Amino acid sequence: MIRTSTQNDLIRYIYQETDTEENIEIQTAAILNGALAHELHELEQTVSSITAAERVPSESIIDKILSYSKSYDLHSLK
Amino acid sequence: MRKYEVSDSQLISLYKNGNEDAFAELVSRHKNKIFTTIFMIVKDHDLAQDLLQETYVKVVNTVKSGRYNEEGKFLPWVSRIAHNLAIDHFRKAKRYPTIVMEDGSNVFNSLEFSEESIEDRQIKEDTHALLRELIKELPDSQREVLMMRHYMQMSFQEIAEVTDVSINTALGRMRYALINLRKKMDKMNVAYDKNIYPE
Repeated sequence: MIRTSTQNDLIRYIYQETDTEENIEIQTAAILNGALAHELHELEQTVSSITAAERVPSESIIDKILSYSKSYDLHSLK
Repeated sequence: MRKYEVSDSQLISLYKNGNEDAFAELVSRHKNKIFTTIFMIVKDHDLAQDLLQETYVKVVNTVKSGRYNEEGKFLPWVSRIAHNLAIDHFRKAKRYPTIVMEDGSNVFNSLEFSEESIEDRQIKEDTHALLRELIKELPDSQREVLMMRHYMQMSFQEIAEVTDVSINTALGRMRYALINLRKKMDKMNVAYDKNIYPE
C-alpha cells in the first residue's frame, strides 16, 4: 500500500515541484518499491500523452504576432 | 516537463528593453499550450489562430506600454487572456460554438511528421483529438486542476489558493485526473505517445 502523501509527492515530482533532496528520496523509493515505480511510470506516461496531444498553431500566425511586436512603435505613434 | 535556462521573467525583462528575440522565445516556448487552451474551448482551428493572435496583441500592448505586472507569472497571465477572449467570443456571438470536426491540420503541423505515412499521421491526430475529448469528460474539479497545472503552468500552491482548497486536495485532484484519464485511455485503447515510450 502506497501512502497518500507519497502519491501526492509523485505528482509534485512529475511537475518538477520537488527539491533535489526530495527527488533523490523519490527515485530511491521507486527503486525499492515496485508498485511505486509502476505508478510513477504510468503517471509520467499519461502526462507525456497530454503534452503530445497539444495542437500547433501555424507559422504564419506566429510571424504575424512577431511582426506586430516589431512594428508596435509605428502603430502606437499613429 | 521542461525547465529553461532563461526564465520567462528574464525574457520579459529583456523584451521590455526592446529585445525582440526574447519575445520570439517567449512566444515559441508557450504557443502550443496557449493555442491548445483556446482550441479546447472553440474547437475551430482558424478561429483559435485568430484568438491566439488577438491574445498576443494584448500581451504586446500591455508589456510595451509598461503596464505588465511583474508579480504574476507570464504563462498563467497569457492563458487567462486567451481563456477570456475565447469565452468572450461566444458571448459576443450570442450562440454556442459551432461543432467543427477536427480535420485539416495545417501544412506546418504535417511537416513535423513528414517521415510518417499519411495513415500513421491520421491515427496520431485522431488519438490526440480523442485524448483532448477525454480531458473534457473529467469531473470539473479534476479538469480545472489539470488545465491550470498543465496548460497554465500554475504551481499546485497557486491552484490551491485560487480554488480555495488545501495543496493536498489540489494534488489529489490532479492525481485522480491522471488516473481517470489513463483508465479512459485504456478503455478506449488510446495509444500512448510512442515517441517517448516506444514499445
